[in-house]
Amino acid sequence: MIARWGLWEVPLPALASTSWLMMISVLLPVALGVLGSCFPPRRVWPVLLAGTSLMAVGVALLASVMMAGAQLVSFSLGSIPIALRLNGVAVLMLLVTQLIAVATALYTPGMLRQMAPLALGRWLWGLMGALVATLSLIWMAVDLLTLYFALELMGLCAVGMLLLSGKSDALVAGTRYLLLALVGSLAYLLGVALILGRWETLSLIALAEQHVSGPVAWIAAALMGAGLALKAALFPLHAWLAPVHVNAWTPVSALHAALVIKASLYILLMLWSLLLPASEAVPFMMAVLGTLAIVWGGLSAWRADSLKVLVASSTVAQLGYLMLVFPLLLAPDISAQAQQLAWEGYWLLLIGHALAKAAMFMAAGNLIFATGESTLKGLAGTSRRLPLSLLVFGLASVTLMGLPPSAGFIAKWQLLHAMILTTQWWMVVVLLMGTLLTAAYVFRLFRYSFIDSAPRHEFKRLSPEMDVIALFLALAALMLGLFAYWPLTLLEGGL
Amino acid sequence: MSTMSLNTLSPYISEILLALMLVCVAWATLFDRHLLRACSMFVVFALTLTLAWWRLQTPWLAFAELIFGGVLTSLAFFYVLGVVPLASPLLPKRDGLVETWSHAGVRAVLALSWLALLLVALYALTPTFADAFEGNPLIVAGAVMVASGLGAFALHRHLLRRLLAFNVLGSGVFLFLAGLAGTLVKVQALIVVGLLVAWLGTLLGALLIRRIYMLQGQQALADGDAKEAE
Repeated sequence: MIARWGLWEVPLPALASTSWLMMISVLLPVALGVLGSCFPPRRVWPVLLAGTSLMAVGVALLASVMMAGAQLVSFSLGSIPIALRLNGVAVLMLLVTQLIAVATALYTPGMLRQMAPLALGRWLWGLMGALVATLSLIWMAVDLLTLYFALELMGLCAVGMLLLSGKSDALVAGTRYLLLALVGSLAYLLGVALILGRWETLSLIALAEQHVSGPVAWIAAALMGAGLALKAALFPLHAWLAPVHVNAWTPVSALHAALVIKASLYILLMLWSLLLPASEAVPFMMAVLGTLAIVWGGLSAWRADSLKVLVASSTVAQLGYLMLVFPLLLAPDISAQAQQLAWEGYWLLLIGHALAKAAMFMAAGNLIFATGESTLKGLAGTSRRLPLSLLVFGLASVTLMGLPPSAGFIAKWQLLHAMILTTQWWMVVVLLMGTLLTAAYVFRLFRYSFIDSAPRHEFKRLSPEMDVIALFLALAALMLGLFAYWPLTLLEGGL
Repeated sequence: MSTMSLNTLSPYISEILLALMLVCVAWATLFDRHLLRACSMFVVFALTLTLAWWRLQTPWLAFAELIFGGVLTSLAFFYVLGVVPLASPLLPKRDGLVETWSHAGVRAVLALSWLALLLVALYALTPTFADAFEGNPLIVAGAVMVASGLGAFALHRHLLRRLLAFNVLGSGVFLFLAGLAGTLVKVQALIVVGLLVAWLGTLLGALLIRRIYMLQGQQALADGDAKEAE
């Protein structure tokens, strides 16, 4: 498992060009964000130009990994060692981050133009830039100090973005999120304290070499796990998630649900692979909690009155799948083949969900904006007037439900295969049940939208790009299933 | 103890006194319902912690704690109270929300189990249990501060008191970190990043609490289960 993270058989020192590119991939979003804050773009084309330059860096890094394999950059600031590595998973997450960030940035001018002129809109650009930088850093960092720094900064940026809508409910929800996120990072730091005290290193690669185990590793894993699970909204620590999304701006919700909570989950899985190499009980417990998350999230999405609560609860349920896979990834007696399948399925599911959830939040935001209604009942009759937004919502749901040919389908197929190989039949049942629940809550929205007898509302006009970008993301999630071969080669061992 | 010479005894005793004082001031900060007094206690707490960093021979951390904890974070708290800037409307003086016994009991158990967890880790890291306690009174103070800070964070519903609890919890974590891992440069770097982030978080929290109070009044300052149930 450690080898898959690029922490074992230490990757080669990075090519000079790669280390520059890695630095640019972190610094460029900050620079673009500052630029955006100083001169807020009102049209799409400057954003597209800036986004293309960012994506070019990501593609160059991808090319570098394809050619030269996993690479490591280590340098020191003063006498503080910093280590970044680029491998298949890291570059994949980096590309997905850049893609979703550029899509949300393209969505933003249209949204800001439609709303009353907002002084706060300016801040969104800077925060978005900093958020993308910290996310990029998280995918690449392999030392505990850099991870801590990036995690904290990401949390603060995320809170700042969620508050921008300025509604007083948003402030209350945001304050609670802020407090929980800060306390979560302190739990992480306590774990770091134990690791430093016992093994005297912050480098994950050095930790991998020392084969850490024993009670100190378990307690550190528990502390870090609790803190990161809180930040990732893993069941049962998810209560803060829905209120935060209800009041936030659409692009902010999209970025948050797609990427921010995934970053904590990413760190959690990476650290547990190191600290709990032979544990059966802990991953099993995660799988049980994941099952509860699927049921609970599905049921609360099914019962939700508000569209945004539906989408946010669906995130809790989808995170449940990612928790369900933990035993297949971490338990000691899993065959290499099953572990590989689970590993591939895990990332494909995570990426598919990131794309689809961003699209779904945009579609939901468009529906709410156009109708002025945030409840499901208020959306009655939208099928005739807003077919494109509903289509996007439907396409995104296809990925969440895991119907072919979406990324969700391929991912679940891989996971099912792994579950059958390891004869974990109960997981198969949970996976299928989750799919049914997803279908149940998604079709509830469509039932309301096709009510014809609804009174006619005055619908506000949407900027065309708001629908087009959401459609693009939903299609990306769908097409990722057809072209899954490409991300899967990146996830194979060695890279 | 008996093997210690007189020369090492007096710094040892002063360290114990410092640890005891830290814990007492931390508790006063956490459990005083009178908000102005609690915030003033936080200033004393930050100054005591500055002294502790000085004793651990980390002048940079002492300086950072003085600036971030003693000045900037404390100012943020007084801003929430309405003490600074002058003539801004004051927050109600006391936190009037009374917690039920069952609510408090669950939190006490939570805090004690955290303390137990940390002490077990400390025990696993040091050769003998006696060393863990006698050699490092400040680590034990850190562990107690972490546990009580976490307990208070879960217990209180008043947002300002939760923010105070977060700060005490953070200081406890830093002290625990320095006690366990020594005062290497990388440890100091971690702690400085932590102090910076704690200050930024507190500042953001202070601005938010103030704004919520101005928009919605006192009722909105009670966060937690009561609202979740709605």
